[in-house]
Amino acid sequence: MSECFTPVTDRRLQPLVLAVTLALGSVQPLLASDDWGDDSWSDDRWGEEANASPRWHGFVETAIGARLDEDPALPDDDLSLADLRAQLEISDYVGENRYSLKADLYADGVEHGLHGELREALLDLGPSQNTDLRIGQQILTWGTGDLLFINDLFPKDWVSYFAGRDDQYLKAPSASAKLSYYNDKANLDLVWTPRFTADRFLDGERFSYFNAMSGQQTSAHLVPIDPEDTPDNGELALRLYGTVDSTEWALYAYRGFWKQPNALTAGGDAYFSRLDTFGASVRGNLGAGIANAEFGWYEGEDSRGDDPRVPNDQLRVLFGYEQELVAKLTGSLQYYQEWIQDYSALTRTDGNSPYRPDEHRHVWTLRLTYRMLQDNLILSWFNYWSPSDEDLFMRPSVSYRFDDSTSLVMGANVFSGNKAHTFFGQFEDASSVYARLRYSF
Amino acid sequence: MRNLIRSLSLGVVLALAQPALAADLTDVNDIIDKANLAAYYKGTDGRSEARMVITDGQGRTQTRQFTILRYDRADGGDQDFLVAFSRPADVRNTVFMVAKHIESDDDRWLYLPSLDLVKRISAGDKRTSFVGSHYFYEDVSGRNITEDSHQLVDTTDQHYVVDNTPKDPASVEFSQYRVWIDKANMLPVKIEYKDSADRLYRRVDVLEVQDIQGHPTVTKSRVSDLVSGGNTTMEFRFIKYDVGLDSSVFTERSLRKLPRQWLRRPKS
Repeated sequence: MSECFTPVTDRRLQPLVLAVTLALGSVQPLLASDDWGDDSWSDDRWGEEANASPRWHGFVETAIGARLDEDPALPDDDLSLADLRAQLEISDYVGENRYSLKADLYADGVEHGLHGELREALLDLGPSQNTDLRIGQQILTWGTGDLLFINDLFPKDWVSYFAGRDDQYLKAPSASAKLSYYNDKANLDLVWTPRFTADRFLDGERFSYFNAMSGQQTSAHLVPIDPEDTPDNGELALRLYGTVDSTEWALYAYRGFWKQPNALTAGGDAYFSRLDTFGASVRGNLGAGIANAEFGWYEGEDSRGDDPRVPNDQLRVLFGYEQELVAKLTGSLQYYQEWIQDYSALTRTDGNSPYRPDEHRHVWTLRLTYRMLQDNLILSWFNYWSPSDEDLFMRPSVSYRFDDSTSLVMGANVFSGNKAHTFFGQFEDASSVYARLRYSF
Repeated sequence: MRNLIRSLSLGVVLALAQPALAADLTDVNDIIDKANLAAYYKGTDGRSEARMVITDGQGRTQTRQFTILRYDRADGGDQDFLVAFSRPADVRNTVFMVAKHIESDDDRWLYLPSLDLVKRISAGDKRTSFVGSHYFYEDVSGRNITEDSHQLVDTTDQHYVVDNTPKDPASVEFSQYRVWIDKANMLPVKIEYKDSADRLYRRVDVLEVQDIQGHPTVTKSRVSDLVSGGNTTMEFRFIKYDVGLDSSVFTERSLRKLPRQWLRRPKS
């Protein structure tokens, strides 16, 4: 969805981003003095009056990320992140209907160019008392996992996630219509995305990836075959959900395609194969914390499992638990498994591939969050660890809020693995440290 | 002369009757019940706009602005709260929702608009900072009165003074807190918290009370962190009770699509 407005293949962006990073740090006290625009609490400027014109909001941000290792597969491997970004948003009501626009403009010093992205361009309609309709470009999320997704098949941006951009960029927008129906017993969401919207997968541009065909790490630009643009190839996602006592339950279904091009045509071209899923989740209080469980059945094109070029059916499950460990320190643990169905058919037909995935992929995640200085300083740790793949992805970060406008985040994305082909292991040379400085208004 | 005597005796009767009319309450649970209702259960529902100025020990300030909706499922019983933030920019449109239960743990959610994420928060960390302020989440929705044992330690001309001791000391950061309850309107007007070393470390002061639709209402209060020297001042405006909220407002629907009908500032 990201469109390249002006392709600027210019490396001068990198020092520019760096310079602005430093400059923004010294400018911010000046900008911050604006405060609320009304120091006096006796006046009546408590916010937007009903008839006041809508205000623009947003932020400017500069972000820089450096690799910890050389990546021999990449021609240019100095920086993993060099963004100079502005986000602008506005929303208001027209009658009873709300619209919202949110757009990013950013200069990217790694993939070289000036990019514009429409994060949100939506209209909220209320066709009836119990019905909402949201149409347009929007970010969509559901499901119970923490940075693990089973029944949420809305587009993700893994490149931004691995590069150290803000968490909000893990979710990519899609042009969709979401119809919601509510009543006392259960609520229904139906999301229709007329044009299939894939994940922004790792395509060799910023990070290299492992190619099982060649058995090598490569930065060859992966350009998969998109599904034909026909009405049948749109995506449908459905959620039926409700709450019983304090426990939230949900049933999910999806018809579309794998969000990553993990199938190969007979000619060896990558494409998105058909995927239907259904699943369920529960979430509620348990002990002093929150417990959740979710599963999803992934049914693809290869129902017998004997076509090694097309992913087999899978069962995916996750269990999670979160609670405050001591004051200001919260911990959470998740267990996640992908179980490949008809595994014996795969082993018979894949020519004894040394890169065959395990039948059961186990992943554990750990999150620790420690809040200090009145929540202005947050130390965060998140990691994925797969004992079956023997790989690890660690995401430590420190964020500091200088005031109501200015914040700084520093962190690292560190990959480690024993095998070249596993999910996180292939990105071992993509480990990086990053810093982001943001001024919000 | 007879008139004078009559007047005098009338005066004496009235003077004697006065204490009888406003007899001091002596049952501490009765006092706490009344204070809880006066502080957290005015009308059957309410909406208010609020602002906080957070000042740290070095005098640096931050601000938060939000609108609160409240609905009482039962007087003194379960309640729903929705808190929709409008400022500053980085928390704008973030929504916090609590289903407060008397007999079981509260249910709490946080909605993060940039991710369209409905996050559930555990009930265990109610005594942590409410969006960076010196108020705790629990100060906003009210601490369950059954979680402490109460003792009436003094009855002054103006106040009932009640000491409160947690039944589960491991679940809280204080060892005891003392509340001064205004006898005239039963509102808690000062609270002092002591830690396990019997050191006073936190104080809540009510700075302003106004009559709103016949309900004495705290419109300005302050929490002071006596250790760091920081404090947060919270001010409420545009308060209205009995606006007609019902439980359907306090659902996931309102997190993802703010209930404008109720958040909108009332015309009168």
